[in-house]
Amino acid sequence: MPKTILEVIDLKKHFFHRKGLFSAFSGEERRIPAVDGVSFYLKENETVGLVGESGCGKTTIGRTVLRLAAPTSGRILFDDKDITTATTEQLRKLRGQMQMIFQDLDAALNPKMRIRDILREAITVHHKVSDEEVSRRIGELLEQVNLKKGKLSNFPHELSGGEKRRVGIARVLSVGPRLIVADEPTSALDVSIQAQVVNLLRDLQSQLGLSYLFISHDLRVVELISHKVAVMYLGKIVEMGLSGRIAHAPKHPYTHILWSSLVEKQSKESSSATRNTQSGIWGVFDFERPYSGCRFAPRCPVYESQGRPTVCTDPASEPQLRDIGDGHQVACHFPL
Amino acid sequence: MKNYSQRSGEIGDFSDIPFWKKADAADLVYVSYGLLIVTLVVVSYLLGAFHLLPHDPHDIRLDLMMSPPGTAGHLLGTDFMGRDIFSRLIVGIQAYFLPGLLAVAISLIGGSTLGVLAGYRGGMADTAITYFTNLVDSFPRLVLILLVVAAFKPDIYYIMIVVGLTNVPVVASLVKGKILFLKQKNFVEAAVSLGLPARTIILKHILWYNCRSLLIIQATLGMGEAILMETSLSYLGFGVQEPSPSWGNMVQAGANYFMQGKFWPSTAPALAILFTIMGFHLLGDGLNNLLEGKRGR
Amino acid sequence: MKNAPLLKIEDLRTYFYSRSKQAFIRSVDGVNLEIRRGETLGVVGESGSGKSITALSVLGLISGGPGVIAGKILFGSNGEQKDLLDGLEGYVKIGREQNRIMQVSKDVLGWERRSDEVMRTIRGGEIAMIFQNPKASLNPFTPVGKQITEAIRLHTKITDAQEAAERAIYWLKRVKIDSPALRFDNYPFGLSGGMCQRAMIAMALACEPALLIADEPTTGLDATIQSKIVDLLAELKSELGTTTMLISHDISVISRLSDSVVVMYGGTVVEYGPVRDILTASISSKHPYTSALLASIPGEEHVRDKVALQAIEGDVLDTINIPAGCRFYARCNRVTPKIRENCERREPDLREIAPGHRARCWLYFD
Ligand SMILES: Nc1ncnc2c1ncn2[C@@H]1O[C@H](COP(=O)(O)OP(=O)(O)OP(=O)(O)O)[C@@H](O)[C@H]1O
Ligand SMILES: Nc1ncnc2c1ncn2[C@@H]1O[C@H](COP(=O)(O)OP(=O)(O)O)[C@@H](O)[C@H]1O
Ligand code: SF4
Ligand code: SF4
Ligand SMILES: [Mg+2]
Ligand SMILES: [Mg+2]
Repeated sequence: MPKTILEVIDLKKHFFHRKGLFSAFSGEERRIPAVDGVSFYLKENETVGLVGESGCGKTTIGRTVLRLAAPTSGRILFDDKDITTATTEQLRKLRGQMQMIFQDLDAALNPKMRIRDILREAITVHHKVSDEEVSRRIGELLEQVNLKKGKLSNFPHELSGGEKRRVGIARVLSVGPRLIVADEPTSALDVSIQAQVVNLLRDLQSQLGLSYLFISHDLRVVELISHKVAVMYLGKIVEMGLSGRIAHAPKHPYTHILWSSLVEKQSKESSSATRNTQSGIWGVFDFERPYSGCRFAPRCPVYESQGRPTVCTDPASEPQLRDIGDGHQVACHFPL
Repeated sequence: MKNYSQRSGEIGDFSDIPFWKKADAADLVYVSYGLLIVTLVVVSYLLGAFHLLPHDPHDIRLDLMMSPPGTAGHLLGTDFMGRDIFSRLIVGIQAYFLPGLLAVAISLIGGSTLGVLAGYRGGMADTAITYFTNLVDSFPRLVLILLVVAAFKPDIYYIMIVVGLTNVPVVASLVKGKILFLKQKNFVEAAVSLGLPARTIILKHILWYNCRSLLIIQATLGMGEAILMETSLSYLGFGVQEPSPSWGNMVQAGANYFMQGKFWPSTAPALAILFTIMGFHLLGDGLNNLLEGKRGR
Repeated sequence: MKNAPLLKIEDLRTYFYSRSKQAFIRSVDGVNLEIRRGETLGVVGESGSGKSITALSVLGLISGGPGVIAGKILFGSNGEQKDLLDGLEGYVKIGREQNRIMQVSKDVLGWERRSDEVMRTIRGGEIAMIFQNPKASLNPFTPVGKQITEAIRLHTKITDAQEAAERAIYWLKRVKIDSPALRFDNYPFGLSGGMCQRAMIAMALACEPALLIADEPTTGLDATIQSKIVDLLAELKSELGTTTMLISHDISVISRLSDSVVVMYGGTVVEYGPVRDILTASISSKHPYTSALLASIPGEEHVRDKVALQAIEGDVLDTINIPAGCRFYARCNRVTPKIRENCERREPDLREIAPGHRARCWLYFD
């Protein structure tokens, strides 16, 4: 039985925006509950995929889990140790074990530094090592991420997207992490390069025994790479379970719509009219829209077809994740 | 007609193309001219400091009053007290060099500190600094200097401290902008998540690698501004005080004779000011284009 | 002229210049394609392969030197066929070395004046374009309805403001924006990404163009919204039959909407043909790049068996250093000993390998 490396309990992260010019005095603020009560765990050498529409809070979960942002409430356990209130210095030490691959290819790369110096810096952050050891590690990393040695003396802007991504991954690996949050690692890349990176991440996992929290909106890739998948909607996980189950036997109406919206799945002939009624009004997706009960109700086709049952919009009965067997959890009053 | 041409053969690493080929010709001219001026300023400063001058700038020769340029031994002529203008021009740099550096140092150090506080920390520090900079910006600089001069004494160092301080907001907002840009690209967060200490991120990554060209440019502009400020104040009688020469008080003293057709006592320092300030500005401009962007694709 | 294609591009070249490398960026380097009336032509290819620059060249919207330097763009509406680049050769002088363009002199001002003259009547009216980033291409300070109304008055026979406004509302409804009369007065920032894209589509179609160019109309939108936009485009296609050039790097979008497909790689067309010949899974009769691309996309079988994807090794082609031989040679896994020398040294032509199906690969001819 593999050990649990990361456990998140009822995590919340709310952002506050000032409203208007004089809000500093009036104290009027807008609240964006980007992450609103999320619980899940991640076992060693396992991948949990996180999917959902843009802006639903995926990146925010990743950042909060790594304590790059302070949680509003909830608990984060790394290796069974509570890191929710760890100090800056404690966190700095922990960073040797948990890392993040950022969505932006350039995020990790100082534009004025050569690749060699970027990697050297990363290798020496957590350990004092000799120059020979640094060169040896750099060689090893290049091999692991399949990057040519000649690129070491280049500046980041001289690299292609795929190469930048590899350097980013090498930098993350250089500290020897056990947990990696990968935030859309392929979305900034070309189709022809995406597969290389997906394969690389999978190989690294089996070689190094890494655990991934894998964020992506490419449902196919998530299904391929993850053991478990969590589907998010407006700051909440609405369904979670083994990836095959989520993709092929979804229980939550939202998950169902998400997977059936894969364009390649829609046959040319299928009339779009049927799909229109099936998926309700789209484009309505907003943290600030008031809701009561289930936050998916305004877009939910099941809610419509059930004749708008009041449980769905009853503020006292917001659907909670509950187990329906095999570790498959769903938050819906009328699972499919 | 625009012409484009490519070298034959493989286009390799473009480090093999010398940078002057990649740069805009105008920028190279700007920078060369600017560097020439900087060299002249430094040489003049050293000559003045070690008294390696054709004449003693304080030597009053009533027999040579108002000699025109070209008078034997006096390349640029003499002023109303018969003092050698060329020597006075060289010594005049003394009035700006150290005070100017002081002003630049104050604005760069103060500006980077506040900029880092506002950009990196954000929150309350940012709000406080924004209010402070607005306050400084809304106060006319000349009035501030006159107040200081009135309260203390008309000393160039006091003036330059004020010039330096009033430039702090400019540098601070540039540094802050740069940090916000890096933050927006998640660069800062990536550095934090790697486990780098804040000190390394701020000093090495932000200030050294990403703000250095910006700071160099601000320094050149700051030097030019220091000279200009002293000149304006000299006109009001608050600049460097006679008998110590400064370009500002030389122009001012010489201006009285301009209408009598004796143009040289004021024209020589005026041109010196013009060429020098132009040099600093073009240097800043050219460096900006060479170091930051406009690098071509 | 009935059967003549609506748009035919012949050997188009659009270059940019990199000062720092002292070299040309050969963004579009000999593109040949044609769009028949009423059909949707899909253009696929990775980023930087020259898809957008081809489209912008057609509209005469290239900024940056030297820009379009050679080729023909034959556009035939209103019964006559005219070359949008006609008479422009005089403004460009090209110097070659070993058959490669190494020097370009261009009278940019003269070219632009001439090109604007030709394009004025065509841009927006005869050829309309939908851009990738709808938020950025709508004017943020004008309500969307007003923008559409103005476009209608500018490009169609309708000049009456009231009538044009009604027409705009009709088009907003047509692209399935709910409560179009209300949305009419919204500014772009009040609309979501998907909604903005619909407004863009409405604006483009409202001018009743002969040719619609849609550059990555779904990229950057959410999966659920993407599928809605694709639905909308499919529906408009069957109802209006507008001739469309659809640019996307998303093969599923292309295969759903297009009749013919052009595959671009490194500034040229490497394959052209009917969609069913090109985007179906049989490897045998396809350009190696196309088949590798199709194979690298995760499909049912990868997911089911959790097998590794078949990645295309190597890197996206750098359009500054275009090799002398086949542009795909460095990444190609189907080179045989017999053709190796050709692949390495000589660029293959785009030749017919089956009726209506052209490919640029030595495998299919010797
Ligand atoms: N620093 C911040 N301040 C205020 N609001 C924020 C901040 N960061 C994120 N948000 C808001 O929180 C919500 C969730 O953002 P997040 O970046 O987690 O989305 P995401 O699911 O990763 O989306 P994408 O797929 O676009 O990356 C969004 O509405 C976003 O605008
Ligand atoms: N204004 C420009 N100056 C220099 N290079 C450019 C310019 N615009 C585009 N390019 C280059 O042209 C190539 C093709 O671009 P584009 O047609 O936009 O590709 P895509 O197929 O992704 O649409 C790219 O390598 C791009 O960097
Ligand atoms: S609880 Fe009701 S509204 Fe919410 S997803 Fe389930 S059926 Fe739809
Ligand atoms: S010509 Fe040769 S290298 Fe090019 S695609 Fe065909 S087989 Fe591959
Ligand atoms: Mg995100
Ligand atoms: Mg494009």
